[in-house]
Amino acid sequence: MSRVADIRFLVQHAIRVEMRNKHGIAGLAVFAIAAVYTCYQATGMHAERESWNALAWVVLLFTAFNAVSKPWADDAPEMRSFLLHTVRPQNWLLARIVYYSLMLLALGALIFAAFLLFLGLDPFVGNGIFYFFIGIEATALALASLLAMIQALATRAGGGFSLIAVLGLPLIIPVILVATRYGMDIMKGIAFGDTAHHLLFLATLTGGFTALGYILFPYLWRE
Amino acid sequence: MIQRSWKIGGLALLGYVLCMIFLVPLGPGLLELTDTKTADLVVGVEHQVPVYALTGFGTHWSETPENLTVVLRHGNQLAALPLIEVIDATHALVGMDLPYTVPSKSWDVLVTHPIDGTLLLENGLFLSDRFINEQAAWDNPEISEFLAELPFHFPYQPRIVETIRNLMLHVPMWFTMFLLMGIGFVASIRQLSSANDLNFDAKAEASVQIGLLFGTLGLITGSLWARYTWGAWWVDDPQLNGALVTVLVYAGYLILRATIQDVRLRARLSSVYNLFAFVILIILLMVLPRFSESLHPGKGGNPGFNSYDLDSSLRAVFYPAVLGWMMLGTWMYQIRLKESIVERKLRQLR
Repeated sequence: MSRVADIRFLVQHAIRVEMRNKHGIAGLAVFAIAAVYTCYQATGMHAERESWNALAWVVLLFTAFNAVSKPWADDAPEMRSFLLHTVRPQNWLLARIVYYSLMLLALGALIFAAFLLFLGLDPFVGNGIFYFFIGIEATALALASLLAMIQALATRAGGGFSLIAVLGLPLIIPVILVATRYGMDIMKGIAFGDTAHHLLFLATLTGGFTALGYILFPYLWRE
Repeated sequence: MIQRSWKIGGLALLGYVLCMIFLVPLGPGLLELTDTKTADLVVGVEHQVPVYALTGFGTHWSETPENLTVVLRHGNQLAALPLIEVIDATHALVGMDLPYTVPSKSWDVLVTHPIDGTLLLENGLFLSDRFINEQAAWDNPEISEFLAELPFHFPYQPRIVETIRNLMLHVPMWFTMFLLMGIGFVASIRQLSSANDLNFDAKAEASVQIGLLFGTLGLITGSLWARYTWGAWWVDDPQLNGALVTVLVYAGYLILRATIQDVRLRARLSSVYNLFAFVILIILLMVLPRFSESLHPGKGGNPGFNSYDLDSSLRAVFYPAVLGWMMLGTWMYQIRLKESIVERKLRQLR
């Protein structure tokens, strides 16, 4: 099987398994919306742009950690030993990154929509909403590329959610630093061209994490 | 023999550095020129002039006070201020004998004295009660400058003052951490390519442990310095956040190691994580601070030292300090490595 076909099959398989048991993804959506609703209540129905920006990224970050800590059928030891002989580990990691990306892109869009619904459009000027949305999706991709690897590492170490948080949170901080700064720039009405280097940096991080994972994942996976 | 001599050399360097840090005096400097809100008659001027108090640091004005000259400067325009009284070695009173119409409100203060040489306080004076006309000009006075022969000293920097000595303690901590984490990075790569030899894993672990120690010391020395110069133990700054997060990432490495029981799996997984951690270290401490503005010395908009301010006296201590701390760090790493290898052998014997 060619690489693309391989990855496509693995992603389709993952989605099929996910759809068979919808409560996992539904739980994530409920978590995200409940988190946004809490923010809406806590800010007193009207958020200043600083809190709007901070809360949006925090909710996205926690939803992402929740999403990757969801146990996956492939993580069971017997399933892994089967996959070891059937798939190249790099393809498996890329498939997982693609799958997490799809999931976080959808969740990011959902969170952003919920934020607009509850906390309002006030902080945005001009095309700000559109650019902020691009920022959310770019951050979702960066989170997916790093967390796929961290999730595999933590599962292999047998540490579970707490280990994902301990290993993942410090590593994710560069992403969050750049994302919050980008969001604040957009809300201040700074021209997109003057703050687009943040997006470029996020894309570089995504590429870098994917490349590192691609090189290192086989060592992680083999017996 | 060679092994022992570089360790002795490292200790000798550190001994030299510590002696220099605590024994070398700071050079003279100017602290401030402030309005005393009084007026007085001055020799050579018919009317009363406002009296300003000049405060120096480490100066010797009470010796040959008649040779103390105080000059204001704005662009090419100079103005000599008449001296009223030298109170002691670091305090003097001068008369603000300026025309009512001046070209600028902001002036540099220059003080010349045979023992201290010429001292400069940039924008040291702000005149709020004068009329501004940028065309205003007068003849420059004749100034005799003194070239002083000062003993070996560290440069005086406004606001930083004595804490400049921290340069030899704080900065080498990070350099040593980089070196040790680099050793760990290489060891982790070699561990991944040789699955059955656990020695590289021991190297990576020992280097990260000692590197973390140096990183923590770097955070502590930086925090103490920030308390005295910025007035806060911690400020929100890209360089500082990067340093803290790097230390957290490597703490995660040790936690990851503690979670895994199987030694071979532990060697493999922690090596993978260590490679990630090193890349993050590069991003956080070398790439991200260049993207953003920072208060930290060496960055823009800072009264502290950057590469231009590192004068020869600082270099004479700073470079040996970097080398000495690195040697000490490497030595500590070797001891920790031996210890962990012995521990492993003991466990096998039991």
